[in-house]
Amino acid sequence: MAKVLEGPGMGLMKKWGITVPNYVVVTSVDELTKLGQANEWLKKSKLVVKAHEALGSRFKLGLVKVDLDLKGAEAATKEMIGRQVGSITVSQVIVSEMIPHKEEYYCAVKSTREGTDILVANCGGVEVESNWDRVKRLALEVGQQPSEDALEKLAKDAGFTGSLVKKMAEFAGKMFTCFDSEDAQYLEVNPVVLREQDSELIALDAVTLLDGDAKFRHPDWNFAFAAEFGRAYSKNETEVMAVDSKIKGSVKFIEIPGGDTAMLPAGGGASVYYSDAVVARGGKLANYAEYSGDPPDWAVEVLTDKVCSLPGIKNIIVGGAIANFTDVKKTFGGIINGFRKAKSEGKLKGVKIWVRRGGPREKEGLDAMRALKDEGFDINVFDRNTPLTDIVDKALQTK
Amino acid sequence: MSILANKDTYVVIQGGVAGVNAARRMAEFCYLIKRSLNVLAFVYPPDAGKTHEIPYGSGLVAVPIYKTVAEATKHHPQINTSLVYIGADRAMKGGMEALDDPHIKVVSMITEGVPEKDAKILGRHATKLGKVFNGPSSIGIVSAGSCRLGVIGGAFDNLVLSKLYREGSFGVITKSGGLSNEIIWICSQFADGITTAIGIGGDAYPGTDYVSYLEMFENDPQTKAVVIVGEMGGDLEERAAEWYGAKKRRVKLMAVVSGFCQESLPKGMKFGHAGAKEGLKGEGSARSKSDALKKAGAIVPATFGALGPAIKEAYQELLKSGQVKAPIEPAVLPKLPKTVEEAMKADEVMVAPLIRTTISDDRGDEPCYDGYPASELINKGYEIPHVIGLLWDKRLISKPEAEIVKRIMMLSADHGPCVSGALGTIIAACAGIGLSQSVAAGLIMIGPRFGGAVTDAGRYFKHAVDNRMSVDEFLAYMKKNVGPVPGIGHRVKSLRNPDKRVKELVGYVKSLNIKTPCLDFALEVEKITSVKKDNLILNVDGTMAAVLVDIGFPVDSLNGFFILSRTIGLIGHWVDQKRQDSRLIRLFDYLVNYAAPKRREVPPLK
Repeated sequence: MAKVLEGPGMGLMKKWGITVPNYVVVTSVDELTKLGQANEWLKKSKLVVKAHEALGSRFKLGLVKVDLDLKGAEAATKEMIGRQVGSITVSQVIVSEMIPHKEEYYCAVKSTREGTDILVANCGGVEVESNWDRVKRLALEVGQQPSEDALEKLAKDAGFTGSLVKKMAEFAGKMFTCFDSEDAQYLEVNPVVLREQDSELIALDAVTLLDGDAKFRHPDWNFAFAAEFGRAYSKNETEVMAVDSKIKGSVKFIEIPGGDTAMLPAGGGASVYYSDAVVARGGKLANYAEYSGDPPDWAVEVLTDKVCSLPGIKNIIVGGAIANFTDVKKTFGGIINGFRKAKSEGKLKGVKIWVRRGGPREKEGLDAMRALKDEGFDINVFDRNTPLTDIVDKALQTK
Repeated sequence: MSILANKDTYVVIQGGVAGVNAARRMAEFCYLIKRSLNVLAFVYPPDAGKTHEIPYGSGLVAVPIYKTVAEATKHHPQINTSLVYIGADRAMKGGMEALDDPHIKVVSMITEGVPEKDAKILGRHATKLGKVFNGPSSIGIVSAGSCRLGVIGGAFDNLVLSKLYREGSFGVITKSGGLSNEIIWICSQFADGITTAIGIGGDAYPGTDYVSYLEMFENDPQTKAVVIVGEMGGDLEERAAEWYGAKKRRVKLMAVVSGFCQESLPKGMKFGHAGAKEGLKGEGSARSKSDALKKAGAIVPATFGALGPAIKEAYQELLKSGQVKAPIEPAVLPKLPKTVEEAMKADEVMVAPLIRTTISDDRGDEPCYDGYPASELINKGYEIPHVIGLLWDKRLISKPEAEIVKRIMMLSADHGPCVSGALGTIIAACAGIGLSQSVAAGLIMIGPRFGGAVTDAGRYFKHAVDNRMSVDEFLAYMKKNVGPVPGIGHRVKSLRNPDKRVKELVGYVKSLNIKTPCLDFALEVEKITSVKKDNLILNVDGTMAAVLVDIGFPVDSLNGFFILSRTIGLIGHWVDQKRQDSRLIRLFDYLVNYAAPKRREVPPLK
């Protein structure tokens, strides 16, 4: 899943005929001033300024300002750009026109196992969250397009009446087309508003999750995907992602500040069981990591380097199941090089390393790990006869 | 018995390299259980018409490659299963092609990163046709003792350790590829092993879910219990729980679910497989799945580590109740023949080497010349002449010696387009011949009359010095035994028109104050010969030869200095002609003395 910020998200909706407010994304006050000279609406409309970053609770953080004129918007932009929230620096704001309206509605499209659900409610904003039973659903099978009748029935079921039935049905239909054409996994507009001047339905806000795996057939996806967990990716995370995009197989790395148990396990499945074991034993994870699909040794070395650089760690869990085709000797070679480099840089002082693994060339790989003891590493190596997560138990008992 | 894959399963593999690797693994399994290779064909349009050679035991099986699935099944009507190893952007097309083939009943997709929409369309299409679409991102399917599809099961040793050569009583369904092997291993150590293990892939919407496979296992009398390795995200585990709880089932269900760590992670932080994501309202969490499975009566150990003992307990119960009997292990299992390298490593075989080298070795991370790593030579300031010294004479030459070698090479790098070598290269270049062949055309000119006198000059000067000959004795010896003295004489240069290159080189070598017996002798020879005829001077070949012998290079290597340095020029001439896009050349008739007999009648053939 790949999250897309509001700006590009609204861009995609506009592409499929959904009306969105006029908006610009700027990185400086100068840019906004220049755009203000060229665009009538910036001068005439009341404006909203929002930090254009993957941040939750922007209202509470004071990163949403409403009811501004262009001068006010410039002041708000100046105030927001450069603000530091946790690890995120606000580098962009989205300035959009305010749409005078009285009514707010809700519309979303989401992927299900059977196909696609279209959700509609005749309330919107925060109201919809406390009235989830008012959200009505149209379930579509894989490959099925919604008929006009079905969409109108959905709107009626949700309590729309009169001319709004057709309007909402049309709006939901366009949302589906956008969802289907753009390989989306989730689209949500909350609120959909009825513009007073012309009674048109407008998408005021957009939550857009796209299928990153489908990027190959969307050459116009010229935007970056945002981190999904309310903060920007760190430098080390970005570096591992860059390696990941270049190699056969994969390497993954996410930092969790404040933890003391570092993870360097193999496999998308086993890595989560290892994380579970750490949490179950009362340990604190310092990161999530995973390598799989027989990645090259240098990529595993980069990952190891990042893991060894985590601050305040006491244990490193080099776990893994019995591999099908990942070469244990080769990938361990990368880890060993990473460990040696870290040690030569003065890292790994007082850190215990715990290894458990099986798979092609397991004996050679495990022997090479064991030999690190002679180089002064505090390392404990186990083979397939030790159950998968027992090294976590051992590591956290000796604390 | 087993499900999905058995003795009658025959396979076409769609895709390139990854598919071939899978076929190798599958051949190892077939060899272990003594059945013929179950991969009958590949589909890979770029190589259609060729074959892949798949090792089987100590032999090779040629497996044909076709352009389409239809062609493959036409030639091999036993094929009923396809494994898809095609890149994510073309996987859907390949999967559809396989599903639409009437011979094929099971399609398992190994490809990772397939768009969700494509996976859903493939799954739906298979359901409509009453076929099985497994994956994407599936590690494969293995039925113990009968059939392996994909690399599931790992290396040969692991197949044996996990007792995959004979059937057990446990079915396995996992999302994770790595954990499928782990569970197979656990089932073989804590119980009697598996019937069939299926990797359904870690994507959000796998083509076939747990329930479909649970139904199949329920109908397979050999399978007594099924182990599910689940993950947070989606609702597949909940649906499995629902199935299990709906009525009394014959098979025992055991399960573990990962993702409990999510509860204590910063909000929104998720990791693991693509499908490992929570629903909007908290559904799909590890806890809700685990609770649902427990409620339905499944055995759900608290941790992955507790799964082994739980499986053991279940197996002991099955034994006690007489539902299963302890398996009989075969006395002898086939051993996978070792490769020569493996056998040598294990000290099991000795091979007489075919060639012997004493100068270089690039088996490590970089080449070593006479033992010295190339990068270290570079970092410590050594240059090309030192590499020549190491590879031609197995010694690190000194700085002044290297300077001499460098100057010799610079002086003989080229001598214009008219000399035999350059002309040969230029003619070839104009005929449109490639670089290496054109340079070779120039190099083959090097011989006794052109450039190739260095070795001989060195040999005879050295002979004279070693035998303390006087110049007169030497000239007499040469006249009697050899003929003209190699290294003496020039076509255009003479005493009055001296060769500047010779002057330059001699001047430099003399300035170094090193012992140069050969050079000194050669200069003495020149003094005598040039009096006889003024172009009988010490030429550049003779000078190089004498100097190189003086600094210790073996006589047999001397022509190499000319060949190497002139190659620089020859490459230059080829590139020069190429750059100008020169046309084919031929000699003008007026440059030929036609001395052949006049045109005459051919006599009748006798």
